[in-house]
Amino acid sequence: MPGGKPGEMVYYAEGGDIKGFDPVRASDVDTALAVYKIYEGLVEYDYLYRPYRVVPVLAESLPDISADGLTYTFRLKKGVRFQDDPCFPGGNGREITAEDFIYTFKRVMDAKNLSTGSWVFAGHVVGVDDWTKASEDRSKPTDYTRPVPGFEAPDRYTLRIRLKEPYPQLLWVLTMQYTFVMPHEAVEFYRDDFLNHPVGTGPYRLKRWQRNYRMEFERNPTFHGQLYPSEGAPGDREKGLLADAGKPLPFIDRIILYNVREYYTWWQMFLRGQIFSVGISKDYFNKVVNTDLELTPDMVKRGIVLRKEPQMDVFYLGFNWEDPIVGGGKTPEEAVRHRKLRQAITCSFNQEQIKETYAGRMIPAAGPITPGTTGYDPAKPYPWRFNLDLARKLLAEAGYPDGKDARTGKRLRLSLDMGGAGDAETRQLGEMYVNFVRQIGVEMTINFSLQPEHWRKLERKETQMFSAGWVMDYPDAQNVLQLWYGPNESPGVNHCNYKNPEFDKLYRRILTMQDSPERTAIYKQMADMIVDDCPGAFMFHRLTYALLRDWVENFKPHDFPYPNVKFYRVRPH
Amino acid sequence: MTAYIIRRLLTVIPITLGVLLLVFLIYRVIGGDPAVRLAGKNATPAKIEQIRKTFGYDKPKFFNWQEVAKTSSPLAAFDSQFWQIVRQFAQLDFGKSLQSNQRISRMMADGVVPSLCITTPIFVIELMVAIALALLCAFYRNTWIDRTFVVISIIGMSISGLVYIMLGQYFFSFELGWFPVWGFEGVNYILLPVAIGVIAGIGGSLRFYRTIMLDEMYQDYVRTAFAKGASHKQVLFKHVLKNAAIPILTNVVVAIPFLYTGSLMLESFFGIPGLGRMTVDAIYTGDEPVLFAMVFIGSVIFVIANLITDLCYTWADPRIRLQ
Repeated sequence: MPGGKPGEMVYYAEGGDIKGFDPVRASDVDTALAVYKIYEGLVEYDYLYRPYRVVPVLAESLPDISADGLTYTFRLKKGVRFQDDPCFPGGNGREITAEDFIYTFKRVMDAKNLSTGSWVFAGHVVGVDDWTKASEDRSKPTDYTRPVPGFEAPDRYTLRIRLKEPYPQLLWVLTMQYTFVMPHEAVEFYRDDFLNHPVGTGPYRLKRWQRNYRMEFERNPTFHGQLYPSEGAPGDREKGLLADAGKPLPFIDRIILYNVREYYTWWQMFLRGQIFSVGISKDYFNKVVNTDLELTPDMVKRGIVLRKEPQMDVFYLGFNWEDPIVGGGKTPEEAVRHRKLRQAITCSFNQEQIKETYAGRMIPAAGPITPGTTGYDPAKPYPWRFNLDLARKLLAEAGYPDGKDARTGKRLRLSLDMGGAGDAETRQLGEMYVNFVRQIGVEMTINFSLQPEHWRKLERKETQMFSAGWVMDYPDAQNVLQLWYGPNESPGVNHCNYKNPEFDKLYRRILTMQDSPERTAIYKQMADMIVDDCPGAFMFHRLTYALLRDWVENFKPHDFPYPNVKFYRVRPH
Repeated sequence: MTAYIIRRLLTVIPITLGVLLLVFLIYRVIGGDPAVRLAGKNATPAKIEQIRKTFGYDKPKFFNWQEVAKTSSPLAAFDSQFWQIVRQFAQLDFGKSLQSNQRISRMMADGVVPSLCITTPIFVIELMVAIALALLCAFYRNTWIDRTFVVISIIGMSISGLVYIMLGQYFFSFELGWFPVWGFEGVNYILLPVAIGVIAGIGGSLRFYRTIMLDEMYQDYVRTAFAKGASHKQVLFKHVLKNAAIPILTNVVVAIPFLYTGSLMLESFFGIPGLGRMTVDAIYTGDEPVLFAMVFIGSVIFVIANLITDLCYTWADPRIRLQ
């Protein structure tokens, strides 16, 4: 492992496979982490402050929002330059303007670019859908001179976004990589190879990239000079997180990311101090964490710190609403019986036993809303929590006393599809589900598939029950409630194909509502509807246990950690 | 001879068509269209449909009879998903990876050298050592030397390759620090994976070559050679080794196509950015264009390697004539 030059601050970490550096296609975590080092947007999440809020980055301040919530006006920081690159005349990066943002936004919406982020503006911004439609014609190049009425640049430093109807999530989505500014010169100069030649305004620039192996970033000498935050959450000052308040970012000179595949190798590299952090796999958990879920003395002596944090995600077992046994039912009477069956099955799942098996690395879920999101209530009981008596009662009421069909006398047999075939933890979990339902007399077959095959089955509505999860894109419950919205049925994100006109009506309502106690109340009402109808058995939210080297300072857990390396400082070690 | 070579090279066409068809059946017919994965997490049905159209996933799988009826051109039948792939591959255009969006030809060019850096030395060292030890075993057949090597080779074959990798990495890299744990930045980075690859594979090779050598050692010509007063060295290297060349050649040349696919486990554990890792990733992520390209190149190399084997037979045994 190469060392840094004397006095140089180098950060070594693990980085996965990436899909290149084109922000419009950066849909996975590893690619996003790489893109955020080089590119920036108008706003980003506050690093320290909680609950989450956005702060300006390339915008001078937060936008002026019109009284009707339909127009957002951003003033850009002056003097921010793209990094130097051969795509510019003389190789010198030029100043960014509002037109660059309009070009970037159009690029996300260009059908030819197949951006995974077009949803951020589609259906929201005035005229954007027509523009996308016009870009679909593959026989001619997309006309970028054609205006999108909803994106305007009244002057060089002012950007205006006009919406069809209020879109309260706009500021959240503008923190995402899809909206990060890029120069048209780079796209035109590198063409197909643009994804390998990032040209941004961010704190770092790509020095070297060996695909499948190693990425190296170095300080961007023309970075506009963002400062470390001066305000944090309660307790941050005591933890030393505000010691660098007001100092120019970034602190680290070079970042080297290795693409390590095998956990065993990753673990050894971490113990040798070659990389900054490692998650704790189930197999290693007891070696590093004692029965009080604290770090063992040996680990502490090595200068290792334990990090525990709930994740903004939810994992559930979905019931296919179109299935003749567990689905929504065709008649009102069938709907009631099927609902009771889903509730009975949910009651047979012992979340505490799963938690024990996973060495406490999970929080039992009680509904669709994730921790850290408005509307999440950790004290709220889950009515279908493990209760075999209730499960048997509901099962009998559903027409399956002792797990047998009252009409035919045949035992009820269900099938559950799980992705992650080949993963020992998934198989173990699957076996647990089988044993849980067996206690109420129901037989269950588990079909393990590799993830692509699992997605295919969900997309084609080919499952009866399936395992699924959702990691939040932004801290707004709307993001997870879309999983239950009727028009989003498979191949959309509503893989349960759940349909409830009342729920759909509320969902359409919250889409245009700004954050308010009224909206939070509706979120809770919608979550209750889902829990009651039970199209999914909510299992858990992940609780991440990870180990860190104590030589990285200013580290604060964050649910959207993509740009955060610029805040870290590495102590000589 | 030339006609034979041309005839054999033409078999590339049905073989590659067959393997492409097989992969197509697995991924596109039994599996689904990859549009959903391309569309990303928050995709709407309209977006998925748009991607299907763009990539041609909305076309019929094998034959486009609708287009034939519309255009009255029989060639329009080939405007389908499968024939689109065949056309593309016939022009040696492998397209782009669904996962990384990189050109596959570039990914393969990047990965082939690291893979060969591992597999070639393993292959050559293992071959030389295994043949040398096999000759030794054959010469000392049924003595303690022969039995010791047989026992060692059986034990070696019985242990999973993963054990060699994990123990080797733990003791020599982590505990003793003699080699880097992970990486591909110089010769010292490949020494340990190559040594492990040789040790893990030598048991099977030794057993195979020992059997070949023993078969030859019992032949009449060996007895005659000894009777005529030939030295042990002459008998082993001039007679036995030369006569054992045919099965050795078969084994060696058939193994050559697999060199380019790399060693999956060694590449994964030691961070070698080769084609083995790339292929397994493609399987896990359903990156079908990469898999199509790998099986296409694999089948072409396989046909060529078989042809070379046949040509080598004529060199090794002048009695063989190719027609």
